[in-house]
Amino acid sequence: MSTLQQRQQARQLRHRLLLSAPAMAMLGVFLLVPLGIMLLVSVLQGGDYGGVKWGEYSFEAYVSFFYERDLDDSLVFNTDYLQIFQRSLWLSVLTTAGCLLIGFPTALYLALQDEKRRNLLLFLVTVPFWTNLLVRVYAWILLLRNGGLVDSGLGLFGFDGSLGILYSDAAVIVGLLYSFLPFMVLPIYTSLEKLDWRLVEAAFDLGANRRKALQRVIVPLAMPGIVAGTLLVFIPSLGNYIIPELLGGGKSLMIGNLIQLQFGTAHNWPLGAALAFVLLALVLLAMLSYNLRFRQPAMEGHA
Amino acid sequence: MEFGEPGQGMKALDDVSLEIRANEFFTLLGPSGCGKTTLLRLIAGFEQPTSGVIRLYGEAMQDLPPFRRPVNTVFQSYALFPHMTVAQNIAFGLEMRGLGRAEIDRTVSAMLELVKLPDVGRRRADQLSGGQQQRIALARALANRPKVLLLDESLSALDLKLRKEMQIELKRLQADTGITFIFVTHDQEEALTMSDRIAVMSKGRILQIGTPSAIYEAPVNRTVADFIGETNFLTGEGTPEGLRLADGQCLALNEPASGPLTLAVRPERIRLSDQGNLEGRLEDIVYLGTDTIYLLEVAGQSGFRVRRQNDEGAGNGLHPGARVRIQVPAAALRVLAE
Repeated sequence: MSTLQQRQQARQLRHRLLLSAPAMAMLGVFLLVPLGIMLLVSVLQGGDYGGVKWGEYSFEAYVSFFYERDLDDSLVFNTDYLQIFQRSLWLSVLTTAGCLLIGFPTALYLALQDEKRRNLLLFLVTVPFWTNLLVRVYAWILLLRNGGLVDSGLGLFGFDGSLGILYSDAAVIVGLLYSFLPFMVLPIYTSLEKLDWRLVEAAFDLGANRRKALQRVIVPLAMPGIVAGTLLVFIPSLGNYIIPELLGGGKSLMIGNLIQLQFGTAHNWPLGAALAFVLLALVLLAMLSYNLRFRQPAMEGHA
Repeated sequence: MEFGEPGQGMKALDDVSLEIRANEFFTLLGPSGCGKTTLLRLIAGFEQPTSGVIRLYGEAMQDLPPFRRPVNTVFQSYALFPHMTVAQNIAFGLEMRGLGRAEIDRTVSAMLELVKLPDVGRRRADQLSGGQQQRIALARALANRPKVLLLDESLSALDLKLRKEMQIELKRLQADTGITFIFVTHDQEEALTMSDRIAVMSKGRILQIGTPSAIYEAPVNRTVADFIGETNFLTGEGTPEGLRLADGQCLALNEPASGPLTLAVRPERIRLSDQGNLEGRLEDIVYLGTDTIYLLEVAGQSGFRVRRQNDEGAGNGLHPGARVRIQVPAAALRVLAE
């Protein structure tokens, strides 16, 4: 390799570093530094009235995630926090599944409309974003509470009034489904919109009925959108705070509420930070398993 | 059979009626927008006719969905499934019919042999060249052993050399499988090379159905004559002696006709000859290797073509501007319906 080429490559490298510097700085200042602070907080001794005692390191927070300290200072296995994590996971899985079940047909319907109608319908999908989430969640409180529209509506079908839907897991799922549905519809719609419908015609031509064409051609080709939508719904709903707070009452806690509780009333910052890191680990694990499951086949194709 | 968008005056297909024989290589030929692809999509079942029936071996098909018709299509874009391997593509139709794994595998390798690509089964469809994709699309459609194979402009994406190869290949496949092929093209040469019969279409109507030679030698009207091959048109007045041209020259006809007439004559049927029956002025000479085209002005009409093979003594020292005589045999003249 000539020196000229070497010099050119060095210059290119310098340019690339320079161009990516703002993005790097952004990530550093707004992601890595706060995460570093949180990590530090999680391994410090908690202060008596919130805050932390700087310089006094302790893994107490991570220990207390699994164990409770008895009166005689022995550790007893404690599933309280694990149960909340488990419920959060379960509610998020149900929410994601529900969003997929409603979102995929919706996206398919949107993609099959002619362009004018499609734009109108897409606009309608995004309309809820125009109002503050808090206002919309309060509207759900009015709908779901005893004697509210849903409750009395179900009463017409022979259910006893005052079902107590509000402040239950069901209410939380309804709220999560409602607020995250557009995040499922839009990416799936994007991948379906790009789909070459002649491939679907080819499937029909080769003897596939509607169900088979959906299963063998449309869904596999929409997979990137489905994966993106699933991640966009699952991850934020796992850490969601406002919906379980308002629709779950105090009864149906999720991880987000637990973390808020530690930084707030419980004055236990290290535990809050530790819980946040466990949540982060969970999310990374979920993304990793998704990568292993869905990225690999695509990579094989280009091998 | 008719097909049109409801509420629109234009019909994409208007009063189209044709009968295609079993084991025939039948071509729908016409310029783009003539309705040939629409006709193909009606047969495949992707569109429903506004009125009329489609029968296959006597059975009405127009109300069946595409997946219930014993008809398969080779799409213009090939439409191979990009998320499947070549073998999975070919196996798709067989799986839809619920065949056993062993039989599917056997058929897939037989199909790959048939299209002379035995080793690409494990590759992904998008890793193949255009010509290979074309063959796989054929193999996929033929694997189902359809009663009719529809080919929609299937060769138009290939380069000339590959196209010539595939033309011969398609003929061979049709003969080997005994399946009826319905081929759509706008390329008249392709149609002439491959077809048993051709239907020439224009503006949603069928103008003429016949063998390649019938269509070429005896076009029914000016549109057909103009679309298939090179044609010279002579217009004039029919008299008892023959056709009187604008400049007074008279051309003898086998069957005398009267009134204003248009005649068609193929450039290769005309000879340059001192004893010829028409006179014209040579405008240009175009050398084409095997042939030479002489462009003449005849009876005030420019661009009259005479095509001669370049054998010995051809051309012998003619120059543009010279007055030449040409021999137009009466047997080569076709009176066209307007």
